[in-house]
Amino acid sequence: MMLRKVIRLISKSHKLDPGHFQHLGTRASQSTAVSLDAQVPGEKSRAISRTQESDPAKHGEQHLCQHYSIPLEELKTIFPHGLPPHFEMQVKTFNEACLMVREPAVELLHYLKKTNFANPAIRYVLYGEKGTGKTLTLCHAVHFCAKQDWLIMHIPDAHCWVKNCRDLLKSTYNKERYDQPLKASTWLKNFKTSNEQFLNQIKIQQKYIWSKRESIEEGRPLGEVVEQGLNRVKNATDAVGIVMKELKRQSSSGSFRLLVAVDAVNALWGRTTLKKEDKSLVAPEELTLVHNVKKMVTNDWHGGAIVVSLSQTGSLFKPRAAYLPQDLLGKEGFDNLDPFVPIQVYNYTPKEFESCVQYYLENRWLQHKKAHTEEGKKELFFLSNSNPWQLERLCAYL
Amino acid sequence: MVAPVVSSARCFWSLGPGVRRTLRALPGLTQVRWSRYDANYKEPQLDKDYYHKPLEELTEEEKFERDLRTTQIFKAPPASNTSSLFEDPVISKFINMMMKGGNKTLARSLMNETLETLKRKQFKKYHEAKPEDREAVECNPYTIFHQALQNCQPILGLVSILKGGRFYQVPAPLTDKRRRFLAMKWMIQECREKKPRRMLMPEKLSHELLEAFHNQGPVIKKKHDLHKMAEANRAFAHYRWW
Repeated sequence: MMLRKVIRLISKSHKLDPGHFQHLGTRASQSTAVSLDAQVPGEKSRAISRTQESDPAKHGEQHLCQHYSIPLEELKTIFPHGLPPHFEMQVKTFNEACLMVREPAVELLHYLKKTNFANPAIRYVLYGEKGTGKTLTLCHAVHFCAKQDWLIMHIPDAHCWVKNCRDLLKSTYNKERYDQPLKASTWLKNFKTSNEQFLNQIKIQQKYIWSKRESIEEGRPLGEVVEQGLNRVKNATDAVGIVMKELKRQSSSGSFRLLVAVDAVNALWGRTTLKKEDKSLVAPEELTLVHNVKKMVTNDWHGGAIVVSLSQTGSLFKPRAAYLPQDLLGKEGFDNLDPFVPIQVYNYTPKEFESCVQYYLENRWLQHKKAHTEEGKKELFFLSNSNPWQLERLCAYL
Repeated sequence: MVAPVVSSARCFWSLGPGVRRTLRALPGLTQVRWSRYDANYKEPQLDKDYYHKPLEELTEEEKFERDLRTTQIFKAPPASNTSSLFEDPVISKFINMMMKGGNKTLARSLMNETLETLKRKQFKKYHEAKPEDREAVECNPYTIFHQALQNCQPILGLVSILKGGRFYQVPAPLTDKRRRFLAMKWMIQECREKKPRRMLMPEKLSHELLEAFHNQGPVIKKKHDLHKMAEANRAFAHYRWW
């Protein structure tokens, strides 16, 4: 008798919402939660905050507001750098990496799936107020492209390249420019970990001479250029330049697809705090790394996409309230990046906020007794203003 | 509260220099802190639950109290006392004691970082422990904090008493306030003075709190030293007359 009642309830719920039939596979748990009203609220919340779908290619409207987990081995290969520091601490504490599927990310993935590789690379600019999730949306896109076997060129934070550099060397290739050996070698090391399989397949198409005794012939694999950059730290910046030039040239051939992901791209057109030996300021164009990345971000190549995000947090000489592309990039940067597809990242919607709090509660992160109550959640909502960064900082000590 | 104190202050000054000198040596009888509020001002009620109680559930006394409150005047609460659910008077007191030069934002951020560090350390232990031992690992930083300060509170203290031209250290019971103050003071002093040069306060404080939670560490040792001194000076206990 009970079974007949349950079957009737399930068929009724399906009649009400025919769309459910399509999603029955992935949301089996949720449909049972809908039909059996006496279900424990914990089960329902589990269905809201987590999803089993760990392939970003399959993330769609039905997975919005849910967290999907990235296996830790994949995390080490795809993201040797590039994750925000607080997120890395959270991954270490919880022993799992979970990203929320949000609207801007789903939109961006939709565009990336539809890219026409014969057309020039389209630039997608992620912008938004501080702490809304631009970097993590970028990482979601990088994860998607890595799963689809694209070659990822991920620059974690362009602000790091225009400040706090102790070792500026005069470039041997071009006398007006300056090299940054340490930063270039760390980037090369991380690039190598994320793109191992491509480094042997891609062959360089030009001879490069490092010094009087060392040179690299045409037809050698790209891995050797990277090795040279890692072994001889002096040539690391030039190695980075060669890698970027070769990849740009060869991405049009169609043997691989290239994703250029730059976080905090407004650093490339801003000001630096680095000084030359005669105490005069270095302009960003005078840095080899910045010059090469600017070439990558132009849309004169095809066979891939460029995803870029702005950031005020590490920026130099920009007011704190600035978040629009015009304010952060300045006239020069905006003209260089124009035309681009702007994608704004917002604060959490009430459903996303609920999902985030459920995720924290499941992992036992909210330890304060009052945080489990409804008033506690209302207070968190008020104090954080649904800003993801602020919510994370609040929950850290509660 | 202030009116009888004002009159006692006047009595204090009318006593004479010799008596005043001996009384100055005895805290508790002389007024040290003054307030701009007089006796008519009542303490504010910041607890939201008090106001959310529906009228039907109130007893006669509570209804009378509510009516009385409409005519009374209240002190302004300090900016740090909020009606937030997450507020804790012990933590607020600790933050005030850690504060230097009025920099409350820094002191509060240090406290929050300490609580976060405590949580992360305990989570690490929780994940490394075997499933049967996981229940024993305490992950709530607030319980650890309260329990650690509870463990650091001394039971007896020493008081200087002048007798026959000499000052003797006499064991005496301490009030609750004094015990809480001593526990917090020792904790902060330990973390400020005895840490390695580049170690930051949250790290050191979280380490000391964890040790005190398990009844180990230098602050507990200081408490035990005080108890031993009190035990050693047991002979002078009868010098105390209160």
